[in-house]
Amino acid sequence: MRRAVRKKLNSALVYTILIFLSCVIAFPFIWLVITAFKTYPDIYAYPIRYLPQEITLEHFEKISSMNFLSYFKNSMIVGFGTMILSVLIALFPAYAFSRYRFRGKGVLLTTVLLLQMFPQVVFLVPMFKFLSSIGWLDSYWGIIFSYLPFTTPISIVFLRSFFISVPKSLEEAAMIDGCGRMKAFWKVIFPVTLPGISAVGVYAFLFSWSELLYSMSILVGKERQTIPVFLSLFIGQYQTRWGPLFAGSILSTLPPLIIFMVLQRYFISGLVSGAVKE
Amino acid sequence: MKRVPLTKEERVSYKMIMPYICFIMIMVIVLFTSNVIMSFTDESGRFTFRNYVNCFSDELTFISFKNTVVWVLGSVAGQMALGMAAALLLNQVRKGQLFFRSIILILPWATLDIVAGVMWKWMYNDMYGVLNDILMKMGLIDEYIAWLATPNMAMLAVIIANIWKGFCLTGMFILAGLQSIPAQLYEAAEIDGAGSLRRFWNITLPQLKQVLMTTIMLTTIWTINYFPLIYTMTGGGPANGTETVVTYIYRLGFRFLDYNKSAALSNILFLIILGISMLFLRQISKEGENV
Repeated sequence: MRRAVRKKLNSALVYTILIFLSCVIAFPFIWLVITAFKTYPDIYAYPIRYLPQEITLEHFEKISSMNFLSYFKNSMIVGFGTMILSVLIALFPAYAFSRYRFRGKGVLLTTVLLLQMFPQVVFLVPMFKFLSSIGWLDSYWGIIFSYLPFTTPISIVFLRSFFISVPKSLEEAAMIDGCGRMKAFWKVIFPVTLPGISAVGVYAFLFSWSELLYSMSILVGKERQTIPVFLSLFIGQYQTRWGPLFAGSILSTLPPLIIFMVLQRYFISGLVSGAVKE
Repeated sequence: MKRVPLTKEERVSYKMIMPYICFIMIMVIVLFTSNVIMSFTDESGRFTFRNYVNCFSDELTFISFKNTVVWVLGSVAGQMALGMAAALLLNQVRKGQLFFRSIILILPWATLDIVAGVMWKWMYNDMYGVLNDILMKMGLIDEYIAWLATPNMAMLAVIIANIWKGFCLTGMFILAGLQSIPAQLYEAAEIDGAGSLRRFWNITLPQLKQVLMTTIMLTTIWTINYFPLIYTMTGGGPANGTETVVTYIYRLGFRFLDYNKSAALSNILFLIILGISMLFLRQISKEGENV
C-alpha cells in the first residue's frame, strides 16, 4: 500500500520535471517563432512585449521577395545529391563489413571510425584549392563532393549496424533457392533494411542542409548558395535584420524537424548502435 | 609468413569495399597531403618551417587554444549532466515518452546550427533580449547583463547555447545505454533494500561506463570541431574572447588569406584530435576486455 503511493508520487514528480524541462528546452524555439510574426515595433519594444499586438506576415513576404525559394531549391539539390551519393558509396562497404571476414577488416573499420572524427576545418583550404583547380568551385558538384568524406564514414557505421541486425540465414536461404549474391541482396536484404537505409540517407541530407563552413567558403555566387549561407547574410556586424532572418529560420527548420520526428525510431537506434556498441 | 591466397569471401568483400577506398580514402589522403605540403611552404613555394614557428610565436594561437579548452570543458560537462538528467527522466516514463522525446531530444537537434546561433544571439540581446527580462522578473539579476559584450560572459553565453544544441545527442546515447541495463539488477538491489541513490551509484553508473566513455569522447571531438554556433553568435569576439582554434583557422584562411599558416595550425589541431581519440579508444578497448 505505502509502496504504491510512493510510486505514484514518484511518477508525478518525474512528469512534472519533464514538463518543466520541455518548456525550458522548447522556449528558445517558441520565442523564435513568436518573434517571426511580430512587427518591428513589437520586436524592438522596451520593455519586452511577450505577445505580438498584431500578427504580421511581412517578414515572410520579405524573404520570399529575396528569392528564398531559389536558395531552398539549391539546398534541396545539394541535399539530395549528397544523400544519394553517400548511400551509394557506403552501401556495399557496410554490407561487406557486416557479413564477411577478410584480412585488414579491423584496420579498415578503425580508419572509417577515425575519419568520422576528422575536423572539417582541416580540409577547408585544400578542398577550396582543389575544387578551384578543377573548376568546381561554386558548383553543385563541388559542394556535394566536399561533403562526401564527412557523410560516408558515418553512413557506413550506421548501415553496418542495420545489416548486422538482419539474420544471416535470410540471404542464405535465398541463395539456396538459387539467387546469386547480388540478387539475394537486392531481393531480401535491401527491402528489410530500407527503413535504416533511408534514415542514413536522411542523415546525409540533413548534414548538407545545415552545413555552414564549407558552403560559405565554396559557394561564392548567389545562384548556387544554400539556405545557411543565405541566412548568414542577415547577420551584420552592426545590425542584424531579425524579422526576415527568423522567418527564414522557421521555413528552413521545418523540413528537418518533421523528418526527424517521423523517423526518430530509426535514427536513434542506428545512431546509438553505430556509435556506442562499437 | 606464407602468403595465403584470398578466399572467395575475401575477394567478394574487397570488391565491395574498393569503390569506397578508391574514392574517399584516396581523396582524404590527397587532401591531407596537400595540406601538409602547404603548411611547409611559404608564399613563393619554398620549403620552410616558418608557418609552424609563426603559429607558436603568435599570441592569438595560445588564446584560441585556451578558449578551446574552456569551451570544450564547459560544453561537455554541461551536455553530459543535462543529457544524463534527461535520459534518466525519460527512462522512467512509458506514457508520453515519444512526445517528451520529440521536444527534449529532437527539437534542439533538428534546429539548424546557424538558426540556433541567431536564436540565442537574439535572446542574449542586452536591450531587447528575453533572457535578461526573465532573469530580472525572477529576481536573479538587478540590472541587464551585456551577455555578448565582455569576453567572459560571451564565452559563458556560447557555452550555454551549445549545451542546448548538443545535449540531446548525449541524452540519446545515455538513454539507449540505460535501456540496455537488465532490469533484474535493479529488482535484486531493491530487494536488498538499496535506495535510489545507491542504485544509481552501484548499478547505473558502472553499467553505463562504456557508453559514457564513448559519449564523452565523441562530444569532446565534436565540440572541438564545432564552428557555426560561435561564428554566428560572436564571430570569435569580443576581444578574441570566444575565438577557438577552429574559428581562428577559418579566419586565418579566409579573412587574412594566410593559407599556409592556416594549414599549419589545422595540422596541429588534427594531431591533437588524433591523440585524444587514441587515448579514449585505448581506454575503451581496455574497459571492454575487463567486462
